[in-house]
Amino acid sequence: MECKLVPSVCSYCGTGCGILFEVINGKIVSTLPMKTHPVNEGKLCIKGWNLHEHINSFMRLKQPLVKTFGRFIKTDWDEAIQLTAERFREIIEKYGPDSIGVLVSAKMTNEENYLAQKFARAVIGTNNVDHCARL
Amino acid sequence: MNSKVKTWLEDGTIDVFLGYKEIDHHPLPHCFTRERPDEVKDLVLSPARYPLEKIATHMVALEPGIKIGMLARDCNGRALNVLYLWNQLDPDNVNTLDVNCCPSRLKEHGDCSYLEPETVGAYKKQVGVDNNQRVEDMEDYGQTERLDRWMYEFQKCIKCYGCRNICPVCFCKECSLEHNELIGTGPLLPDVPVFHMVRAVHMAGRCIDCGLCEAACPMDIPLRLLYQKVNQIVIDLFNYETGTSVEQSPFSMLGDTVTLKPKPI
Amino acid sequence: MTVKRITFLQELLSLLGLEGRLGLSWISSAEAQKFVQVVTDFTEKIKSLGPNPLLAFSEKRKAAAVGLLSLGKEIVYEQQSQNLA
Repeated sequence: MECKLVPSVCSYCGTGCGILFEVINGKIVSTLPMKTHPVNEGKLCIKGWNLHEHINSFMRLKQPLVKTFGRFIKTDWDEAIQLTAERFREIIEKYGPDSIGVLVSAKMTNEENYLAQKFARAVIGTNNVDHCARL
Repeated sequence: MNSKVKTWLEDGTIDVFLGYKEIDHHPLPHCFTRERPDEVKDLVLSPARYPLEKIATHMVALEPGIKIGMLARDCNGRALNVLYLWNQLDPDNVNTLDVNCCPSRLKEHGDCSYLEPETVGAYKKQVGVDNNQRVEDMEDYGQTERLDRWMYEFQKCIKCYGCRNICPVCFCKECSLEHNELIGTGPLLPDVPVFHMVRAVHMAGRCIDCGLCEAACPMDIPLRLLYQKVNQIVIDLFNYETGTSVEQSPFSMLGDTVTLKPKPI
Repeated sequence: MTVKRITFLQELLSLLGLEGRLGLSWISSAEAQKFVQVVTDFTEKIKSLGPNPLLAFSEKRKAAAVGLLSLGKEIVYEQQSQNLA
């Protein structure tokens, strides 16, 4: 029997509540709030309480899918990124950079959001950046 | 303490020991095993409490027959008693290392576990229910005032199910609080006061007054007070002290002897 | 079992200030007289207690849920009046 209690940070929003994953035999079975964490002080919302469900969900995407002929085909990251870059370049050349918008998420860290807007402004060349917290 | 756990692990009395270990200055529950004997020296008594017996039931569900050792305060002990009675754990397979109640600055406060009093604001005291109140003092308010005060508290509920999820004696696979025909489960605003009343009824003969639900409530609903009232009713009606009595709860179906008369309408 | 649960629930409801709104009585299918008596008595008792106080709360909540600001305004108003006092 392998039982571990792994401290982590909730990935559902930018608040950053401390959580504790209960891992038994390599599988996350339950989530607990971290009592001594300065952010949430032993409290969680319903999303945090059910984190283990989305980790174990069979619906979870574990690798990139590419839509070809109306169907999603599994592929690897190199190919997916290459394809995205090629399509982006095509679109920018054809319609201009402002035809692309970047939506970022509250589930990511500040730094990742910063990188995303940097990518939009410096690489693509558009100011169309938005964030789900601004809706 | 640490040497005792070590001998238990070595001589095969237990397979795993549930205790606390400090990780990055956070006292966290930790599973000590025979494979990692060096860790046992890090075993600490933590001021933060976690439902260790809930972790134990999860382990037993996956691997029946595993021998578990546990750090047990008074509240853990009571929870274990209830879990034995409801056949969730086998007392032969659980070894407890009994320790003093919660380390706290205010040992004189609290009836069972020495929890520190909650901080309660002036507005809450005026229109809601003071978390540190005693059950008997609730009777001082009139009927309508009591309803108003409790409804103020219940209406804050964001339905996180935290009280149920952290509860050491909540083990049902199918929960009434998620049953669409018994309770309005869909909308975000919970069905008040039905949601809290259903849980209160299910806590009868089970709640061991550990206070974890109240500590986990993000909206500071005085749940402990509510379940203390439940326990008080169970003691008054059935003379059954949950957690310390050795017989089955009065609400279990088998061996039912009724001496109670219904109240006249 | 029933009598245990109902007695328990009666006590619990009294905590919320809803005393006397729940009753239990055993009536056999042959006891028509008793049935009529019990139902009439209980109806009268409920009528004398007045409408269900929980309805007012649920109406307020519904109003708040559909986006009417009545509840919010009331809370603000209450707090302001308390600040003044």
